[in-house]
Amino acid sequence: MTTPQPAVTLRGLTKAFGPETVVDSVDLDIAPGEFFSLLGPSGCGKTTTLRMIAGFNDPTAGTIRVGGQDVTSTPAHKRDVNTVFQSYALFEHLDVRRNVGFGLRRKGIDRRTIDQRVGEALELVQLSDRAKDRPTQLSGGQRQRVALARALINRPQVLLLDEPLAALDLKLRRAMQLELQSIQREVGITFLFVTHDQDEALSMSDRIAIMNQGVIEQCGTPEHIYENPASVFAAGFIGTSNLMPGTFDNGAVQVCPELRVPLVGSNGLRPGDRVSVAIRPEKIWISELTPSMVQVPGTVVASSYHGATTQYLVDVAPGVTLTVLEQNLPRMSTGDRWTPGSRVQVGWLPEHTVLLT
Amino acid sequence: MSTRRVERRPAAAVTITVLFFAWLYLPIAAVVLFSFNSVKSLSTFEGFSTRWYSDFFHDSTLITSLSASLLIASVAAVASLVLGTMLALGLDRVRSRSGRAVGAVTLMPLVTPEIVTGVAALLFFTGLSMKLSLVTVMLAEITFSIAYVTVIVRGRLAAMDPQVEEAARDLGCTPFQALRKVTLPTLVPALLGAGLLVFALVFDDFVLAFFTTGVDPQPLPVRIYSSIRFGVSPAINAVGTLMLAFSALLIVAALLLPRLFHRRSSSLDLITGGERR
Repeated sequence: MTTPQPAVTLRGLTKAFGPETVVDSVDLDIAPGEFFSLLGPSGCGKTTTLRMIAGFNDPTAGTIRVGGQDVTSTPAHKRDVNTVFQSYALFEHLDVRRNVGFGLRRKGIDRRTIDQRVGEALELVQLSDRAKDRPTQLSGGQRQRVALARALINRPQVLLLDEPLAALDLKLRRAMQLELQSIQREVGITFLFVTHDQDEALSMSDRIAIMNQGVIEQCGTPEHIYENPASVFAAGFIGTSNLMPGTFDNGAVQVCPELRVPLVGSNGLRPGDRVSVAIRPEKIWISELTPSMVQVPGTVVASSYHGATTQYLVDVAPGVTLTVLEQNLPRMSTGDRWTPGSRVQVGWLPEHTVLLT
Repeated sequence: MSTRRVERRPAAAVTITVLFFAWLYLPIAAVVLFSFNSVKSLSTFEGFSTRWYSDFFHDSTLITSLSASLLIASVAAVASLVLGTMLALGLDRVRSRSGRAVGAVTLMPLVTPEIVTGVAALLFFTGLSMKLSLVTVMLAEITFSIAYVTVIVRGRLAAMDPQVEEAARDLGCTPFQALRKVTLPTLVPALLGAGLLVFALVFDDFVLAFFTTGVDPQPLPVRIYSSIRFGVSPAINAVGTLMLAFSALLIVAALLLPRLFHRRSSSLDLITGGERR
């Protein structure tokens, strides 16, 4: 037995439209059975990457392997991948059953097997009772599930999902996120999911690659990316961060003359290097500080109540305002909340300071 | 309150609409009425009779002309449908500047005065020393009709999600199979609509037919025109009524056929502007 091949391997994958390089030398390995998300703002190249894997766009340079096999110059219809399109792209002249069975009919599989597998696929997406309906008779969520069943029924090595939930309203989107996850576990097919929604990527994926301007900024588990953003872009794109640019000097970052943020390690920085530090709002405490924390005095300038949490904006130095997110714990009463103008002491554990170079 | 106001129909609008339709359809209604007249008068209705219809069905030149017109319209519809659809598919896929220029040139027959097209066709055919016949009428009508087909099919293609064809390829279709299995079936309502429109336009087209037809057999509109010069026979009313009934039948067919294919939208929606998207 050989070691299992990655489901998808990209090496130096590049796509240029005219003078504009949309995808710039992307390297990526996606393990079999993984739920992998490509996350990034619109125009970052994530959809183009997906379309190259599907075979709709030819790469300018680089190679694409699916299940270890080089498919870089294989036409779309011969690749063992299937796509769930953002617009669903259902065949309106066919009913649900024939939409779902389309791929199997193309493969020349016998009718009885097709009928059986279409039945199973429709059951998987809970649409057995709509088999004879036309796509135009279905709701957005149902059309989405037909698109999913139509792709999944072919049991591809990799399922490519191009922002499949973007057109759904928030509540339905949440429900479909959970459903997608459980379907993926059930069928065990590798999912490559493209989204610009960081919540979606964080909650669904085994691993995430953050893309920006055609390159992958960071790749890792949702937790790793959230806790240790590797770049200013990653820190800003996933969740919110208190981002403070400054100058490295003697084991700390001088943000401004009044504010100095000590670092745990200095990993090879030289005095005078321009760096940034980032601290997540929920990692900053505004009460019950401990001596091991980095402590900074400040003034509350705004507070807003969000039910489970309260968000404060705290001025800690001229031009430096920290966002602080505090849990509204059961033992706290309304009187415990800070009002604008209060002089406070905020603090955070040194290991929660993320250094971005 | 504002919703109330919308429901109230202004009397002026109703009056104008009624007058408009009266102006439009009363002459046609007169033709239908007098086709059943029992005497040869075009001013007084004496009694009901179908003698003019039997006259028509016993007039072999009129019958020959009718079949000639039906043949011309069928051939023109089928041929322009094939050529116009190919052109529309090609133009839809060409993104270059020259492609767009070709697209604009395609529309020329729609705005060229038909009399110019007719004279041009006549000069062209005689210049090639082609004998004028039903074939030359067909060639002229096909050339003229391609533009209609292309406009209608391109409209439908523009509304089509380009990802649908990609989905077909994704599911194992070669580009040609994707066209055959997905794009063309999706276009069926537009194709039906375009085909019927061309048929209706060509069937009663006079100008092009007049310039390009030979002596015998003549297309029905040309034949009617020449017979009117020798005095108007009520048999012409009968022919007109039959053509009207036939055209109405075509429109009903265009509206109903897509429903037989379980489609919600009809091909004629493209023309009547019935469907959103």
